[in-house]
Amino acid sequence: MRVLIIEDEVVLARQLANAATKSGYAVECAEDGEQADFLVNSEQYDAVILDLGLPKIDGLTLLRRWREAGIATPVLVLTARGSWHEKVQGIDGGADDYVSKPFRMEEVMARIRALIRRSSGSAHSEMKCGNLVLDARSSRVSVAGVPVKLTSHEFRVLSYLMHHHQRVVSRTELTEHIYAQDFDRDSNTVEVFITRLRRKLGTPFIETVRGLGYRMSEPSEGSG
Amino acid sequence: MLRSLKSRLILASVLWTSGLLMLFHMASIMLVHMSPSLRHFNGFWAVSVALILLAAGLAAARASLSSFKPLREKLSAVHQGEALRVEGVYPTEIQPLIDDLNALLTAREKAVARASTTAADLAHGLKTPLALLAAESNRIAAEGNAELAESITHQVERMSRQIDYHLARARATAFGATGAVPCPVVDCADALIRTVSKLYADRALTISSSIPADFYVRVQREDLEEILGNLLDNACKWAKSKVVVKASRTSAFVVVTVDDDGAGIDPALRDAVLKRGVRIDEALPGSGLGLAIVRDLAELYGGSISLDASALGGLRATVSLPAVAT
Repeated sequence: MRVLIIEDEVVLARQLANAATKSGYAVECAEDGEQADFLVNSEQYDAVILDLGLPKIDGLTLLRRWREAGIATPVLVLTARGSWHEKVQGIDGGADDYVSKPFRMEEVMARIRALIRRSSGSAHSEMKCGNLVLDARSSRVSVAGVPVKLTSHEFRVLSYLMHHHQRVVSRTELTEHIYAQDFDRDSNTVEVFITRLRRKLGTPFIETVRGLGYRMSEPSEGSG
Repeated sequence: MLRSLKSRLILASVLWTSGLLMLFHMASIMLVHMSPSLRHFNGFWAVSVALILLAAGLAAARASLSSFKPLREKLSAVHQGEALRVEGVYPTEIQPLIDDLNALLTAREKAVARASTTAADLAHGLKTPLALLAAESNRIAAEGNAELAESITHQVERMSRQIDYHLARARATAFGATGAVPCPVVDCADALIRTVSKLYADRALTISSSIPADFYVRVQREDLEEILGNLLDNACKWAKSKVVVKASRTSAFVVVTVDDDGAGIDPALRDAVLKRGVRIDEALPGSGLGLAIVRDLAELYGGSISLDASALGGLRATVSLPAVAT
């Protein structure tokens, strides 16, 4: 899961980035409107945290532009503008959620989790596939009640697959959603992560669909 | 001396006419002396012409004074917020006064807008550092001092609520009831229902509203949004599953009710929550000043708010706002 934080206040951006990384997301930051516009148009994010008072291009203008261009990435507006008039403008401009500053970090993270969950169509923060359970709230994974220790990249791969469990996810798509942009991307490493995940999870939860990518599959009862 | 412009005009014309009469009397005596044949002049025609002239003079005087009445009506329209400026063409002696008055209105509007912008800038300028402070308290919590972190966060939230409250008040006082353009209640309510539906998306609430399209109130749009937004927010926060918004009309007011099926508020506490700074539930972020803001704004526009038990089981908030005749 990749999250873009658009915030011109450097210290605040860093605090948000720390918290998001701790929640298991690949995090990138943009400091002004132009940079944000470029990133959102060229990269794939699972959620965007958007400040409205940005240098160069105003946040609300950006949001409207993205929605007009058909970019449906969930956007949480995080702003000092807290009146209801401004909230209405933000939501009507295409925001999926609106939090006014000052905020509680845990609240923003909970709302980001909910946004990603809703955009992928699941109803609970706890996702299940057979006896495999992934809790997005605590970033914990367990198989048959036994906790499994995963690295942050392995967690992101599994979390993305489980959020989109109803379909096949291509290797390129996975690469785009687990790495921050400045990372050296190599789609072969995805295979490495999948292999390691399969070994750690034990049961064959991740199915390879030849030529297309990967899909979560519930192992049938007797196959263990 | 004579306060009324009308009596001064009458006095002036009586004096003027008396003088004129004496002159004419002298002139006619001299004329008759010089040519005695004028004694047989037809007096009927002379009297008729004189009466017509008198009537015309009276009408002209009345007309010139009557331009004051529509002027008063226009001024009162500006005061009531039905018009922004005094419009129309007036006699040359009055027109400069009207122009000056309009210029004064423009200057005042600008000053008020500047003050309001300054207040907003101050509020926004304070909120980013407050957000930083709140974020830093996370680090303190991570270092093991959760109690101190919570105390900082709590104080930051208190400051933020004070800023919101006074900013809303400052904006409303600046524009206030005068100069408010009629605002359609249903448009505002629909926009806010869209907004709170997103903000409370995880709660699966059913928010229904029935407001006739021809209900207009004389309240600045931003303030109506603040009033209805806070009421809806409060209802959504407490509701179990349902929020209902309705509106009715009396001769002078549009009455909006917001009902929820939550726990409601104890009758003894209802007055207290409308007072500034009283929070019923300290655990819910952002609660507390919302209803106090609603009360202040409603009263500023000559309206009111009351809290009762709802038929749905929770709280019913009723707010009355000055209606615009349709």
